[in-house]
Parts: sequence; C-alpha cells; structure tokens
Amino acid sequence: MNTGGLILIIGSLGAATAAFVWLALRLGPSGGKGKLPSETIENAANKDVEHIFNDEFREELRNRGRLHFEKIIGENAMFLQQDLRQTTSQLNEYMRAEITRTLQEEFKKYEQSIADAKKLALDSIDKTITTIEQQRQFLQTQLQTQSEAQKARIVASFEKEMASIINHYVLRAIGNQIDLSDQLDYILAELESNKTAIVEDIKHGT
Amino acid sequence: MELKLPLAVVSQVDIARLIRELNSLEDFFTSAQLRPAGGSMAPPRLTRTLDGLARTNQLNLLDKPQRLKLATALDQLLKTAPLVHISFASEPAPRFLNEILNWFRTNVHPQTLLQVGLQPTIAAGCVVRTANKVFDLSLRTYLRQQEAYLVKLIAGAAHGG
Repeated sequence: MNTGGLILIIGSLGAATAAFVWLALRLGPSGGKGKLPSETIENAANKDVEHIFNDEFREELRNRGRLHFEKIIGENAMFLQQDLRQTTSQLNEYMRAEITRTLQEEFKKYEQSIADAKKLALDSIDKTITTIEQQRQFLQTQLQTQSEAQKARIVASFEKEMASIINHYVLRAIGNQIDLSDQLDYILAELESNKTAIVEDIKHGT
Repeated sequence: MELKLPLAVVSQVDIARLIRELNSLEDFFTSAQLRPAGGSMAPPRLTRTLDGLARTNQLNLLDKPQRLKLATALDQLLKTAPLVHISFASEPAPRFLNEILNWFRTNVHPQTLLQVGLQPTIAAGCVVRTANKVFDLSLRTYLRQQEAYLVKLIAGAAHGG
C-alpha cells in the first residue's frame, strides 16, 4: 500500500467524523422546546450522541470502514499489481532492449572482427597468390631455360650421334663394296701427300 | 752390298724364306761335294722370287762366294731394311700390293719392306704405320674428320635450313 492509499483512508475517516459532528449540531437546537439551560442541552446532546452512536451504529461504521479499507486495499493492491506488471513489463522491455542493443553491438563488433579477419585473410591470400605467381613465373622461366638447354644438348647429342650413325652406316654399307684396286689412286695420292713425313720418320727410325 | 729387291719380295717373311731357301741350296751343294761321284742328285728347285732376286742383282747362285754374299746381304737386309706396316680393309691383290710397294721403294727407300695387315673397320683407304708414326689414310678417319660438316648438314636439315 502506498502513501496515497493511507491518505485516502484517513481522509475518509475524518470526513465521516466531521459529518456526524455537523449533524449533531444541526439537530440539537431544532429538536428542543424553547431555551434550555446549558447543562441540560449538553446532557441532552450527550444522550443523543450516545443514542445515535450506539454500539450497533459503531459496529456498522466499523464494518463499513473495514469494507472500505479492504476495498481501498484491494484497489491499491490491484494498482500495485498493475504497477508491478507494468514495471515488470517495462523492465522486460528495457532488458530486452538492452540485451538486444548489447547483442547488436557485440554482433557488430563480431562482424567487424570477422570482416577484419576476412580482410587480413584475403590480404594474406593475395600476398600468397602473388608470391606463388612470382614463384611460378620464376620456376617457369627456369624450367623453360633448362628445357631449352636440355633440348639443345639433346639435339646436339642427337646430331653428333646421328653423324656417328651415318658414318658407321656408310662404313658398314660400303666397307665391302669398294674394291682395293679402285682405291689405288686415292691411296697413292694420300701417300704422296704424306711422303715427306713418312720419309722423315723412316730415315730417323732406321 | 746393297741389294736391289724385286717387287716379289714384299715382307720380312719373304726375306726369311729367301734365306732359308739359300741355306737349303747351300746345304745341297755341300752334300753334293761329300757324295761320291756318279751318284744322281736332285737339286732343289729355286723359287721364282729367289731366281728373280739373283737376276736383279746379277748374281750366280751356283757360285759359292756369290751365294754367301747374297746370304750376308739378306741377313743385313733383314736387320736394317725399313719396315712399314700397312693395313687395308680387305686382302690386297698382289698387283695392287706391287703398286704400293713400288711407290715406297721409289719415293721412300729402295729396300722398304711391307707388313700387310687387315682392318675391315676402315672401310676404304689404308693405315700406314712407320717406326714412330701412324698415318691414318682411311675413309673411316676421313669421315670422322668430316663429322662436323655432317653435323652441320644434319642440323640444317633438322631446322629446315
């Protein structure tokens, strides 16, 4: 129960008392025959008061006051309950709003963190891709150079081997086909061209 | 005495054969002197080579001093005659060999002896080996020397040149 309820109850009791006093004062002078002495009036008033405010009336008043008090208490309880519900509801709303706001802030921070991490990851991936691309280009160049060198070596080797093969083939092919008599002029010409060296060696050899 | 060698005498083997033949002739005449007179004896037949050698050098083989002279000259020849090894891809014909020998005796030394060998791998030409040098006059060596040119030709063909 709040202060307003108490004030209301006390105010009601005071108003009821004032009404009874006022009623007693109005009934007093109009009900007597002529002027009476003051003690008589006072006694009469006391009797009337006692007559009006007897036990039943007082019990009735108490019952009414109790009922009124209960009613006021019930109303205030209802108000209090409403206030409490309203407060609870507001509190829930507030809590919900706060939680939502906090969650949104946290989510924003989380999203920002994720975005930062994503950006970092993308940067890192970009750098890695760039490095890999550079490495790939370097390896490609190196591989191409080595491939060209290897190719040149193979071609040179092939050409040389091919020359040997052809020579071998020619020797094998014509080896038994050329008559020595046909070679006489060639051999004599070769001997003639080496004559000086042969003579020199034979003279010094013997 | 410097012997004039006929072209039939080619190698040291021929000289050795001539020496053996001369020795057997000498043995015959020695045994003929020891035999009693009136007995029949068959003289050894001279080879055409020994006969040609005697004719070339105008020597009478019935005369002992001249036989001894020839034998001494042949022994000396065997020791001092320049020897040339010459190899061919196949067995040379005697006429062909005579041409070669004639060239050596005309241009190098009149008592040159040849030792003929076979090297089928040279295909054509010959390989001459003297005391200190080898003269490879073969087609095999010629082709090897021309290998750079052949490689150049192959490279040109391979590159579409």
